[in-house]
Amino acid sequence: MHEYSVVDALISAVLPRLTEHPGRVKTLVLKKGELRILSDRALGNAFEILSHGTRLAGAQLVVEVVPTVVACPACGYRGAAGRLGEADDHFSIPVLACPECTAPVDVVAGRELYVDHVTLSDEPLTDA
Amino acid sequence: MHDVRFAGEDILARQLELAEANYQRLHEKRIRSISVMGAIGSGKTTLIEQAIDRLRRQGLRVGTIAADSAGDDDHRRFLERGAVSVNVNTQDDCHLDAHTVHHALDHLPLEAMDVLFVENVGNLICPADFPLGTDVEIVVISVTEGDDMVRKHPKIFAQTDFVAVNKVDLAAAVGVNPQRIVDDYARVNPHGKVILTSLRSGEGIDALLDLLGLRCTSTQW
Ligand SMILES: Nc1nc2c(ncn2[C@@H]2O[C@H](COP(=O)(O)OP(=O)(O)OP(=O)(O)O)[C@@H](O)[C@H]2O)c(=O)[nH]1
Ligand SMILES: [Mg+2]
Ligand SMILES: [Zn+2]
Ligand SMILES: [Zn+2]
Repeated sequence: MHEYSVVDALISAVLPRLTEHPGRVKTLVLKKGELRILSDRALGNAFEILSHGTRLAGAQLVVEVVPTVVACPACGYRGAAGRLGEADDHFSIPVLACPECTAPVDVVAGRELYVDHVTLSDEPLTDA
Repeated sequence: MHDVRFAGEDILARQLELAEANYQRLHEKRIRSISVMGAIGSGKTTLIEQAIDRLRRQGLRVGTIAADSAGDDDHRRFLERGAVSVNVNTQDDCHLDAHTVHHALDHLPLEAMDVLFVENVGNLICPADFPLGTDVEIVVISVTEGDDMVRKHPKIFAQTDFVAVNKVDLAAAVGVNPQRIVDDYARVNPHGKVILTSLRSGEGIDALLDLLGLRCTSTQW
């Protein structure tokens, strides 16, 4: 359970960027590579607690999963990773072998973790 | 409403940079490095102890970084075997990170080392998200954890290239068929390398060291 330290880093990265943007923070959209082991629920809980007393308090953390993309040094394939389990199954997992020629592949996407954007409402922050 | 867009810098970018720095530093010193992960009690320390014995007999100098929540038991076990070692207490952290390893390296005589083992905190899940900058990573699982480990944590094993299935001496007693674990692993990771071990008696350690590229008689990895 290291979601707390991840969310701590996330909040520290976001807050300084918001000083020149007034308004209430509605949502914070986080992109998470599907190969990462972080739990969305634990991220949400950590965000709720750690954002307390900051400008992010009350905002909604939206986690968007980035699917795995691989590149094959053997045959040049570049695209979605092959998967184990049903294609539309939530629990299918990416396999790190080339779907065209089965060779070992490099991971191009699927391990990232970054803030995509923050949405603010334009109402002034004068209440409360 | 308006959006503030971010440049897409990874939240853990600093950790990734430090992992890369660790990697470069170890390579400059021509040290082959292995990160050992796995649940509490699976046999990580035993693996490294056996490796130290074998490698020292080959004339190689071994350093270790022993990470535990508290205490220095593993660290002492490595010192007793003749390794140089640094003890790291992660306290409530569930994993080592590249930053901690970066500092630990300052306390090791890198000029006088050929191989580095990093033993992570006993935890199957969390360390998988934090690369340390070692050449290879191995996960040690024990048959006593059941034969469904891979099926329960497919995402972890899909990304782990080396697995030791340890304590096979206890397989019959706990009613586990190790081959089942091997088959599950081959499905989620077609290029992964797995070896059955009984590390307490040293069974499988030679094959494992081969697999990890540690059987060279010279230090020119
Ligand atoms: N029967 C049997 N016991 C083993 C084997 N390998 C290790 N053990 C025992 O399992 C216990 C735990 O082994 P360690 O090597 O300390 O495990 P670890 O993964 O380092 O444990 P933590 O650092 O606490 O997470 C010890 O009592 C070992 O002697 C094996 O192959 N067979
Ligand atoms: Mg140990
Ligand atoms: Zn954790
Ligand atoms: Zn290919």
